Amino acid sequence: MAGGNEINANESKMAVPLNTWVLISNFKLAYNLLRRPDGTFDRHLAEFLDRKVPANVTPVNGIISFDVLIDRPNNLVARIYRPAPATAAGSIPIFTDLYQPPSSDTFPVIIFFHGGSFAHSSSNSAIYDSLCRRFVSLCDAVVISVNYRRAPEYKYPCAYDDGWAALKWASAEPWLRSGKEGKLRVFLAGDSSGGNIAHHVAVRAAESGIEIAGNILLNSMFGGNRRTESEQRLDGKYFVTIQDRDWYWKAFLPEGADRDHPACNPFGPNGVRLEGLAFPKSLVIVAGLDLVQDWQLAYAEGLKTAGHFVKVVYREQATIGFYLLPNTNHFYEVMEEIKEFVRFNL
Amino acid sequence: MEPMKLQRERQGNLRGGRGWYGAAAEMESEKKKAAMAEDSDVDELLAALGYKVRSSNMADIAQKLEQAEMAMGSSVVANDDALFFQLAADTVHYNPSDISTWVDNILSELNGPPPPPVSSPPPNAPAPLDPQKRHPEALPSDAAQSSITTVELPLPTRRPAQVYDLEPLPAVNVARARGRFAYSSDPQMDVVDPSPRDSKRIKFCSSPPSSSSSTTDAATSTASNLPAVVVDTQEAGICLVHALLACAEAVEQGNLQAADALVKQITVLAASQGGAMRKVAAYFAEALARRIYRPPPLGGVVGCPSFDSVAFDDMLHAHFYESCPYLKFAHFTANQAILEAFAGFRRVHVVDFGMRQGLQWPALLQALALRPGGPPSFRLTGIGPPQPDNSDALQEVGWKLAQFAETIRVDFRYRGFVASSLADLEPSMLLGKNSDDCGGAEKEEPEVVAVNSVLELHRLLARPGALEKVLGTIRAVRPRILTVVEQEANHNGGTFHERFTEALRYYSTMFDSMEGGGKSGGERDQVMSELYLGRQICNVVACEGAERRERHEAVEQWRERLTGAGFESVPIGSNAFKQASMLLALFAGGDGYRVEEKDGSLTLGWHTRPLIAASAWRVAAAAADSRFAR
Repeated sequence: MAGGNEINANESKMAVPLNTWVLISNFKLAYNLLRRPDGTFDRHLAEFLDRKVPANVTPVNGIISFDVLIDRPNNLVARIYRPAPATAAGSIPIFTDLYQPPSSDTFPVIIFFHGGSFAHSSSNSAIYDSLCRRFVSLCDAVVISVNYRRAPEYKYPCAYDDGWAALKWASAEPWLRSGKEGKLRVFLAGDSSGGNIAHHVAVRAAESGIEIAGNILLNSMFGGNRRTESEQRLDGKYFVTIQDRDWYWKAFLPEGADRDHPACNPFGPNGVRLEGLAFPKSLVIVAGLDLVQDWQLAYAEGLKTAGHFVKVVYREQATIGFYLLPNTNHFYEVMEEIKEFVRFNL
Repeated sequence: MEPMKLQRERQGNLRGGRGWYGAAAEMESEKKKAAMAEDSDVDELLAALGYKVRSSNMADIAQKLEQAEMAMGSSVVANDDALFFQLAADTVHYNPSDISTWVDNILSELNGPPPPPVSSPPPNAPAPLDPQKRHPEALPSDAAQSSITTVELPLPTRRPAQVYDLEPLPAVNVARARGRFAYSSDPQMDVVDPSPRDSKRIKFCSSPPSSSSSTTDAATSTASNLPAVVVDTQEAGICLVHALLACAEAVEQGNLQAADALVKQITVLAASQGGAMRKVAAYFAEALARRIYRPPPLGGVVGCPSFDSVAFDDMLHAHFYESCPYLKFAHFTANQAILEAFAGFRRVHVVDFGMRQGLQWPALLQALALRPGGPPSFRLTGIGPPQPDNSDALQEVGWKLAQFAETIRVDFRYRGFVASSLADLEPSMLLGKNSDDCGGAEKEEPEVVAVNSVLELHRLLARPGALEKVLGTIRAVRPRILTVVEQEANHNGGTFHERFTEALRYYSTMFDSMEGGGKSGGERDQVMSELYLGRQICNVVACEGAERRERHEAVEQWRERLTGAGFESVPIGSNAFKQASMLLALFAGGDGYRVEEKDGSLTLGWHTRPLIAASAWRVAAAAADSRFAR
């Protein structure tokens, strides 16, 4: 309803700073143009509209980035962010410097899966380049941002396979290991669909005996067939609608699957039991104005029930995307939580 | 140098001497001041994410986003999804970084013509459109849209400030009303016929200045932003790169003994490598060797392989065209911009700064032939370097194109100009009417000019003043569009070592893209393409001064140069982007190629590294000056 839309605009405008509102509304408008009712996606327009940034081996705030082709057949590229290697002041790090450990102490490696509801964005999207750089300085980490294959062109399980490939690649890189035992101290992190990917890659890692130090899930994307209270209450109120969530799940999940598919609903009727699995500790960040929150909280409950450590950080007044701009308490306080979590579990 | 200086003075006199230079300089500093003031108002946080939004404009943009949202929302309410998505599909987007104009564009598209109404109210006489309207691009058009006339809907009157107090509208009227209330401050304003797509292209690009204008040293700032795609992480590959860089450093420090030793080491290492890395290393090693062994700089530089034959050059260029999509992309994108600029004109003239074998033009001629209403009369001026063997390749190319044009029934005229440098060109040469012009009738039809420069401008940077002269010549010709394609790299700034490092990254990526899945054409095409690139490598690394002609600069630097010379960007839109992406998928098949949009230009690259950039320009309105008139 037109009148209804206007109220929503005012509510969401009051919940976030104006420039955040403009940013997220801009995305929302663009995304509305890209999702076609028949389930196809205007990929070319999406790529045209997405603001991308190049990798940069010249230190910016002490951080450099470069892209690596992890898997040629799938064109799987990842962007590596790391503290600038120690070279002569002002000079561009040479190729070989890039692959030196950033520190002689232990350091975390964060494998990051960007959001975009499985369909949008890339590892070189400006919003995610910015976030990953933030993680480097926050945690003195090497961050690996995976440019996973997206829906609807690539459905489940492609994104998970790419996440797994990135983890295997990282495990084989000697320069990513640290500490007395010389091992990879890896965290899986992601926002929106990226959080979902982090979970599923962690399950596979646990099943394969690869140790993950921790999972960081930011406004992660889960769902299920039933409509939860938060979905109904917040539908259309803060940038997101049930309708668009449904579209993205349909685009990602296999043909004919519904939202109780375990990819979408890991603790639902078709979920995999995680009891007894060496599943990593999880930090689950939930925004109180995100309509998906009931699923995120159910996810955290599911982990607890299975005997795994979960810390839930619930930001009552936060909307989706609060972590994109450093202009609220939500941003800074959540970054601190992430920093502490990584430090504690390193 | 002397003759050129004289020429510039002569030009200055023709245009009022010192006064013109003075005025131009003043205009430039005013523009710079305005640009800086605008810069400080840009929202920093959004700028960091690739969006240019002025803080003072933020609330306004928020409003527009809301309007667009509601306009779209009501279409869903009315179950007009199909119509909405038709509109969405047809809309051409430009310069998404400038949110304000991007949303304006969407709003004006949503404000487009109503479909033939189910139960149509009687059409009223159209009221003239208020020229003060905020969105000047929604102009009434003369385009014959037979079934759609202006229709006035019985909307409740609303005060402009209350335009967002929307009553739910009856479903049948929503599709038509949708755009009406979106932003009109005049509730009685009639829905206008869609402006023809062509006139939309003319709209003034009002985006805030690009962020790069905030840096003073374009060369170093861009050097720092050029990405690395690392594809070879084998141990041997790393050693090889290390040796190459160490060698470059030794050369820069004048430690020729060490450099010599390293060259030998590189050669050995390269032999044990495979694929792209081996070839790239070999070319760079050879270039380094030439640089090391050149005689002391006394005007003479050893330079590069001595095949100075223009025909050989053109041949290599043609193989490069065949074997990988970079030049095809360049031609395609430039042609798209030219085609759009030529829309509606019956006499068109293309000036090609690098005619070579004319590979770009058959496609444009074809597109013009298929224009609704028939092709325009087409004139081509091809510029090429002198041929040592006095053969008339330039004329031959023209002749072949003329034959082609005849088969597709396009009226075609051609003239070739030989010039050792583009700086030798004078506007009169480019503007001069053909001797075989017929009489008066044709003289009345305006002729529009497109100037096309593919990989030519960077050469001018080898001689001080040459680029300025050429840009002045272009301005004097008053082209409707100037298309510029250049290598997306900074091979012209900083120290030798920095240049070497940049070039190594650039050509490694380029060679990698030509290896394996990324290539088309045949074996010979690939070999010749590698040689083509190898010669560039040699020039970048081994040469200096006037000899070093491969002075590539990134599109941000060209933007600064062009805007400083009185040009403004004509953004390339999503339609060209889409078609380029689709063509790539068809012809290159390789998934590694990527088209990206940045500040109105399109780049083609390999994975995340842009390698070639295409942009379009026109003479800025402010610089449009009667003194430049023909």
